[in-house]
Order: sequence, then structure tokens, then C-alpha cells
Amino acid sequence: MAVQDATSEVLVDTLERSLRNRRIAKHVGIFLTLTLLWELGSRMGWLDPLFYPRPSNIIRSFWLIYFQNANVWFHLYSTISLVIIGWVLGSMLGIGLGALVGFNTVIRRFLKPYVIVLEATPRIAVAPLLIAALGFGVNSKLAIIMLVCFFAPFINTLSGVINVNEERLELFRSMRASKTQILRKLVLPDAIPVIMAGERLALTAALSGALVAEFIQRDKGIGSLILVYTRNLNMASAFACIFTLTIIGFLIFKGMEKLDHYIAYWKYEGGRERMSSKRKRTMVEP
Amino acid sequence: MSVSDQPIPLSGRILDIGVRFLPHFVLFAVIIGAWEISVATGLITSIIIPRPSAIWSAIVELYITEGTIYRHFFITLTEAVVGFAIGAGVAVSLAIASSLWDPFRRYVTPYAVVLNVTPGIALTPVIIAWFGYGMGSKIALAAIISFFPIFVNTLTGLVQVDEDREELFNSLGASNVQVFRKLRAPAALPLMFAGFKIGLTTALIGAVVAEFAQATDGVGVLMSRFSFQLNMAASLATLLSMTVIGLILFYSMEFLDDRIVFWRRESRRAAASRARARTWAAQAKK
Amino acid sequence: MVKHEQSMAAAGDVVVSGLNVGKTFAAGTVVALENANFDIKRGSFVSLVGPSGCGKSTLLRLVSGLIEPTSGEIEVHGTPVNGPRADISMMFQKATLLDWRTSLENVLLPTEINGTPSKADKNRALDLLKLVGLEDFAFSFPAQLSGGMQQRVALARLLQTGADILLLDEPFGALDEFTREHLNTELMRIVAEVRATAIFVTHNITEAIFLADQVVVMTSRPGRMAKIINVDLERPRPLSIQTSVEFNKLVEDVRETLGAV
Ligand SMILES: Nc1ncnc2c1ncn2[C@@H]1O[C@H](COP(=O)(O)OP(=O)(O)OP(=O)(O)O)[C@@H](O)[C@H]1O
Ligand SMILES: [Mg+2]
Repeated sequence: MAVQDATSEVLVDTLERSLRNRRIAKHVGIFLTLTLLWELGSRMGWLDPLFYPRPSNIIRSFWLIYFQNANVWFHLYSTISLVIIGWVLGSMLGIGLGALVGFNTVIRRFLKPYVIVLEATPRIAVAPLLIAALGFGVNSKLAIIMLVCFFAPFINTLSGVINVNEERLELFRSMRASKTQILRKLVLPDAIPVIMAGERLALTAALSGALVAEFIQRDKGIGSLILVYTRNLNMASAFACIFTLTIIGFLIFKGMEKLDHYIAYWKYEGGRERMSSKRKRTMVEP
Repeated sequence: MSVSDQPIPLSGRILDIGVRFLPHFVLFAVIIGAWEISVATGLITSIIIPRPSAIWSAIVELYITEGTIYRHFFITLTEAVVGFAIGAGVAVSLAIASSLWDPFRRYVTPYAVVLNVTPGIALTPVIIAWFGYGMGSKIALAAIISFFPIFVNTLTGLVQVDEDREELFNSLGASNVQVFRKLRAPAALPLMFAGFKIGLTTALIGAVVAEFAQATDGVGVLMSRFSFQLNMAASLATLLSMTVIGLILFYSMEFLDDRIVFWRRESRRAAASRARARTWAAQAKK
Repeated sequence: MVKHEQSMAAAGDVVVSGLNVGKTFAAGTVVALENANFDIKRGSFVSLVGPSGCGKSTLLRLVSGLIEPTSGEIEVHGTPVNGPRADISMMFQKATLLDWRTSLENVLLPTEINGTPSKADKNRALDLLKLVGLEDFAFSFPAQLSGGMQQRVALARLLQTGADILLLDEPFGALDEFTREHLNTELMRIVAEVRATAIFVTHNITEAIFLADQVVVMTSRPGRMAKIINVDLERPRPLSIQTSVEFNKLVEDVRETLGAV
């Protein structure tokens, strides 16, 4: 039942293989050729530069919004801070409720139909309603972000808690472990990898949620900036913002990967070795 | 639960279902009742929380007496389905090409990864500028954001084939085309359908968000219009239609999944095996 | 181990006993075990053999207190079993280690369940890892160990509890012949060393006889104890004993009992 994200090992493998085999030059070559063709196409008048910005213009826009006008920082700060706060709050709520529901079979049974309905509804569609209810500003933005990133940690924590390995449970029972011990020493650690997968999805969803909220509110944030630039047909700057989001998305991806290596260390070769030598050091030799 | 082998009469089965769902109905009724009373008695006083009865009359108006919802409902449904079909078509074709031809996979991968880490929602204003205010832009956004999960799942399914089975095919002297048709493609189906399910959900999100941004028809438009009129009852009634679309999309895909990837579920396996026995018998008679 | 009526052991010598023990599942439709009577003497090694589904695991889980009998009664150290207890320790077919703990931490788990492990507990765990030949892997995680090594960690964990009754449900069933033989020899030595009573479930007739003082042959549908065979072979037993005439007689005896049903 748990939701997993679509970042495939196949793709990552392929990328890493390319890097190892020093094909990077070829990749860059192809990329530059495509970019150049685009630039030429635009200069020759095959692409309307009003709608399809030239690569050179996009690069200039980067310079403008980051350094010359330096107006992007304010919006970046607004978006990123809200995304992080909303993600932390929303996913804490999700994990907490997921654990609660997971441990309580009665609540679980009664909640099931509502979860099915919630799962089928595009959560982001509630955005206008929340803005109307909570007014323009930070509150409704936070509420939207929390709503969109609540679900994945909730459902993953729930399924992590429910799907405890039967054999391990029997082992704990044979050792006369108490309920709290089973929870602390078995169920929670066992559920960590799948909860982390939920957290990863939630952070991505949080960014999308923030963008939608900003599209509607049009006050500040990268989303509203993209909207304004597009309205003014300043497509080059809009694309500079979109590529900024690509970089943020990439940082999120890498950051969550790091966090996963740190928290769910036993899943990774490197993490195991690190913890193994660390524990050896902390254990005072008898 | 009964242990006898006798088929339970229909009336009994209906009663059975009734008894099983009774607690759910009771709980639902209690929640609705408590909500209605607390709004009616002024315990909750807020324009942002409508009474259940108000929501109900909004539902009756939108869905029955006026029937305004249907035009928008089918527009959004169409946008999501067409967008999904385009996204899925491109995704599956690229995935098949990538699985058959290694260099292609290497050169497509970086772009797929970039597309994945960029929040597709961020493209909304640009897509509307490119494709206009009509259904085209909604379909385009739906297609773009449903592309990646389908691409990556299909590719993973096609590439990660059990090595023993592949050896078996090689030992039989199977051609590449045969390996693809008889081994890789069927083995990829379960993951591909998982990708389709995620893709449908995201396609619906894409359609709705694009409608929020700029449109004249569709449930997203209704939703934001009602919300900004502070007509909470009507916007909740509209939200219901999105849930219905979500359920329709999800369960149609589930239906197909069940029939096409029949070998995963016991009941479907049994049905398929009976059907094949029948065709076999029919052929034997001729 | 001997059938109840034949029991000649002094009462103080019996640590596990069962009287007319029966267990059914699925509202009585599946009879997993029927009318089992047994007395197990202190310090003895008992093997349970029988075809798949004859109730071996069920019997073990009944003794451990993980499940309750539908009829009859089981006593351990003179008190009725009603739930898992401290004087019994169980090992399963799979190692069931916790992936996020090192070998040492996995061995310490039973001690942690009963309180905070002391320095002495930690040393004991290290000693046990040494006993099973894993002192160099005390700080490795399960994913860094081979199947046989994982099983040895589970064996150390079994001994860490300090229980004097050890229940082993096909503990080395998933391992290759060489590793299994090696671990069996170790197990025999260790059990003798800590003077424990052991009940050992296996599919393998040779293994059952090689290890045991008594072999209980079980038959299925419904699960029953068909025969108890005493193994009066000298200890310590070298591996070569398996080719001796007496040994093969015992093997034949077990085979006949299994085949007779
Ligand atoms: N929890 C349960 N619910 C229903 N039936 C059960 C359960 N546990 C065991 N049984 C049934 O009881 C019978 C004995 O099972 P048991 O696991 O004790 O066999 P076993 O001798 O250990 O077999 P194996 O050698 O394959 O491990 C089997 O028919 C099994 O299907
Ligand atoms: Mg068994």
C-alpha cells in the first residue's frame, strides 16, 4: 500500500555508468549542439523568441534576476522557507497520525473509506478553498503545503506499522517483549525506510503545493514570479526561474538521498561500514 | 463467517453487507449530525464552515436540478484522459526504445532526470502562454506531468528481467524480438500499470491546476469561482466531482490491470484458466 | 524423552512434560497435533523428525508458550506454561536478525528486553560471538554476513538469554550441507558446555540421530508422535560415527517408522 517515488535505479545506474565511462564530454557536446540549434533557429526566425526564449537570453536573465536586479532572492526565500516549514509540519502530522491509525485497529477500520476517498481526490484541488477560508497570505499557503505533503508520510507510516515482519514479531514475543519495546525496538526502526520514502515524496509535493498557492495568490514566491514574467511575455526570465526550480529539485533529491543514508544507514553499504566502525569505537574494549 | 458450503441466499448476502457497513454508516451519520448541530446552534460560527445540509443542497443543485456540473465534469475528465494518453504514449515508446537500444537510453536519461526533478507544475503559466486558454494547455500539462512516472516504471520493468529467465530464452536460441515479446514485455506489465495509475492521478492534477491558472470551463474553474465567492458549500460540492473523477480513473485502470495482468491475483488467475480451458476444448471439438 | 506411561525418570529430573497435548486450527478443522505425551529430562538433547506439516513447529511453539494448546497441558520446571517465559529460548528457521543492529547488538537484544545491559552482559555477548566463531564480526550488520554467519549470530542470541531450555526449529535448514554439519558439531558442543536441554526440529534423519539422545518420530494427518528412539551412542561423537553400523541401524529404524504410516 505504501507509495514509492518514481526515481528509478535504472536511470541513476545509467547516469553513473555514463559518468564512469567518461562519456560526459559526449553528453555535453550533444547538449551544446541542441542548445546551439535552438539559438540558431530562433535567430533565423523559425521560433518566435517572444514565446520560445533564446538560450542566450535565458542566460542573461539568470544574470539579471540573480545579480543585476537581484530580485529573485526575496522570492526564493519566501518559497523555500514555506516549503520547509510546511513539509516539517505536514509530514510530522502524517507520521503521527499514521502511527496512531496503524496501532489502533478500530480507528483503522473506520478510517478506511475516508482514506480511499482522500487518496482519489487531487489534494491540490483544495487550494482555492483553503485560500478562501484562511485568506491570502502565509496561513493559507502553509495549509496547502501541509495538506499536499501530509498524505505520503501518513500512508507510508501506516503501512510500515501494519506490515511488521511476522517472524520478527514472534521472536520478540518469545523474548517476552512489552508493547512499548516492540514498538521502539522493532516496529519503528523497521518502518523507517518506507517512512523516508514518504518524506521524499512529501518534499517534492510540498514544492508543487507552494507553487500552486503562489499562482493563485500572486503575491510573492517563485511561482508568482514565473506567472508575472509569463504575463509580461518575459519568457527568458520565466525560464530562468523554472531552471532555478530544476536546481532546487535536484538539491531536494540529493539532500533526501543523504538524509536517507544517514537515517536508514543499514540499507547502504557505505552507511553500514560507517556505523560499524563508529560503534566499534564507542564500545570501550573490555 | 459461515463454514457451510451452501451458497448464501441473496437476501442474506445483502443483509451481510448491510451489517458489515452499518457501523460506518452510523459513524458517518453521527459526524454529519454533530457537525450540523454545532453549526446550527452557533457552536461553530464561521462563514468558512458550511453546514452539511447546505452542502447537500449545493450538491442537489449542481448535480440534479441545474445539472451545471456535468459539462465541466466531462471537460476535465477529457483533459485528464487525453493528456494521460499522450503522456503515456510518448513515455511507453521512449521506454521501449531505451530498453532496446542502450546508447539511446544513455542519451535520454539525463533529460529524463532533469524533467523529473523539475516540478512540472512550475510550467503551468508557460504552457498556457504556449497552448492558449482552451483545453489544449490543460491536456499539455497533464501529458507533461504524467510522463515521467510511466516512463520510468515501464523502463524499469523492461530492463530488470530475471537473469535466469533470460538465460533460458538465450539457451532456446530466441531472437531479440522474441525475448522482447515473450519475456520483457509481459514481465514489465505489472510495473507499467503501476506507472499508469500514478500517471492518471498526476494527469488529473495537471488538468485541474491548469484550470485554476486560466480557463473558462472545467471543474477547476468552478472550484476557484465558488471559492472566491466564498460559497463554501458549492465548492465542496465541486470537490466531490473531482473525487469522482479520481475514483473513475483509478478504478478503470485497476479494472484493466486486473484483466491484463491477470496472473497476480488468485481469483483472476482462476477465471483466466477457466477461459483458456474452454477455448482449448472448443478447438479440440473442431 | 519417553512416553508418559513408560516414564521411569525421577520427578525432579523432568524439565518439560506434556500430558495429552492437542492443538487444532481454523475452528477445529485442522488438527495440527493430537494427544502428545512426553517427558524431557534435564540436559537431554531431543530431535523431532517427521514429514512437512506433521506439527513439529506447532509442538515447539506450544512448549515456548507462543500458542496455547486446545487440550491437555504442558509443564516446564514443574509449572504450567501460559505464555513465553524466561527459562525457555527459541531459535527459528530464519535468522530473524534486525537489519539495523550490529551482530553484538542483535545478541544483546534479549538482555535489553529484560532491562539495561550491563558491562558483564556485553562481555558475555562478545564471548558468545567468540564461541560461534564470529568475534571479528561483532560490529558488522546482518547484510554484511553470509547466511551461515547470520544463523550463528542467531545461535549466540539464543544462548545470551541464559535460558536452560533451548527450542530450535530447523535452525540450519536453509544452509548448505558443509555449513550445517559444522554448525551442528558446534551446537552439540555448546549445548553440552552450557548444560542446556534442547529440542531440535529437523527434516534430516542423519542430523536428528547424530545430535540427539532421543529421536521423536512424528507422523502427519493428524500430527502424532509415532515412536521414540533412544540413541545410545557415546559422546563426544565424531562425524565419522555416521558411517558406523549402530548409526545406520538407527537410521533404518527411523525410516521404517516414517514409512510405516
Ligand atoms: N496458524 C495456523 N493456522 C492454521 N493452520 C496452521 C497454523 N499453524 C500450523 N497450521 C497447520 O498445522 C499443521 C502443522 O503445522 P506445523 O507448522 O506445525 O508443521 P511442521 O511439522 O512444522 O511442518 P514443516 O516441516 O513444513 O515446518 C499444518 O497442517 C499446518 O497447516
Ligand atoms: Mg515447521
